[in-house]
Amino acid sequence: MDLKSTRPRPSRALDPLLACTRWLALVSGVPVLAGCSGIQSALDPAGNDAYEIYLLTIVMTVGGTLIFVGVTALLLYAIFSRPEQRAWLGTRRTIVYGGLAFPIVTLTFLLPYGLTVMRDTDVPTADALQIEVIGEQFWWRVRYPAEQGQPEVTTANEVALPIGRRVTVTVTAADVIHSFWIPNLAGKIDMIPGRVNRFSFTVERPGVYRGVCAEFCGDQHALMAFDVLAMEDAEFSAWRAAQAAPAREPVTPFLERGRELFRSGGCGNCHAIRGTEANGQFGPDLTHVGSRRTIGAGQFPNNIGTLGGWIANTQHLKPGVRMPSYGMLTGEDLRAIAGYLESLK
Amino acid sequence: MLGGFLAWAVQFTVIYGVTSTVCARGWADTTVLGAGIVPFTVAGTTLVAAVAAAAFLVHALRKHRRLQSADASVTDVFLIQGAVLISAFSIAAILWHGLPALILPACS
Repeated sequence: MDLKSTRPRPSRALDPLLACTRWLALVSGVPVLAGCSGIQSALDPAGNDAYEIYLLTIVMTVGGTLIFVGVTALLLYAIFSRPEQRAWLGTRRTIVYGGLAFPIVTLTFLLPYGLTVMRDTDVPTADALQIEVIGEQFWWRVRYPAEQGQPEVTTANEVALPIGRRVTVTVTAADVIHSFWIPNLAGKIDMIPGRVNRFSFTVERPGVYRGVCAEFCGDQHALMAFDVLAMEDAEFSAWRAAQAAPAREPVTPFLERGRELFRSGGCGNCHAIRGTEANGQFGPDLTHVGSRRTIGAGQFPNNIGTLGGWIANTQHLKPGVRMPSYGMLTGEDLRAIAGYLESLK
Repeated sequence: MLGGFLAWAVQFTVIYGVTSTVCARGWADTTVLGAGIVPFTVAGTTLVAAVAAAAFLVHALRKHRRLQSADASVTDVFLIQGAVLISAFSIAAILWHGLPALILPACS
């Protein structure tokens, strides 16, 4: 899969409007915000839903800034000008038009605009790709239900999306309240234990994005992220087929030993590796853990070194996670287990 | 003087009460005269409340005009000007309050 960072390729359809709004942002005094872009930025929308939210943000920010500057200027004028110069500020006409009519007219335009954006950015369709995400402390359980002959897929801490197709994400939580947010693609949605929430969006620019938990959920809330891979439809179908397949068999004695250590150590009580006897449901599914970009819910690059370090010392890398540290393992055993997991592409 | 605020308070109570009850009980698909029960209730309550606030505004404006021609005290003039302001603002607030139910889907 050849996915690179997203920034240099804004959608052509969005280009002129994005440029205009960035200029508006610049002239209205929010250059810092206008400069933000990248894999985790609501100011770099990668789809029309995110763009609508972005435009609303710019309109509110620019409008609010202009009004704040205007009111502040009037306040300073009222304080420092001579009484005969500022007398017009106290007339009934100024108060009625400036203090009553102007806010009422402004809010009367902004309110339906904001409501319309809310309505238009979350429209489910019958053929939408269904994805289920469950928030856990402090990781993401991701499931693609079976559809149109495609088998069910379970993964963790990584969401793959086809571009140009409507996606409906159904979310809930297993333990405490979380919030699912991919800033480049859509707004936030709360994940509440015992309640199911849904929202829909479309990705229009391929690339790698980053989602985060947007509701404080415990000690490691700040380290609860996930990767989002937006890809062409054919590439997505290939990804899905690969994820649905059972785990690869070890191809070397070293990897074979890693699998045996994984089995004898009881790792399968918490983790599932389809195609083996490991069928635990408490922790992330590891059937294709080696194919993921990161481990620890978006915290570390995925390689043998970080996998070994994670197994040996989870409570140091991410204090409070449910997985205990396995510091008693020898270096050779750690390398074997990490090598086996890394081979599960 | 507080007639506009009272109309707004009644609208607030009715539409929040009905919407939360309908959504909690799963009655969102119920229709009244062809319209969904939530938009129907919100639109009806909003209309009644807005008409009531407008009536308070007209009454306050008439009284204000009468006071200007009479030898009224400063306190009376202030109170009736306050009534005009509150009634006018309440009309806007009532309309803003009813708008979401007409744009957004019920119980979403």
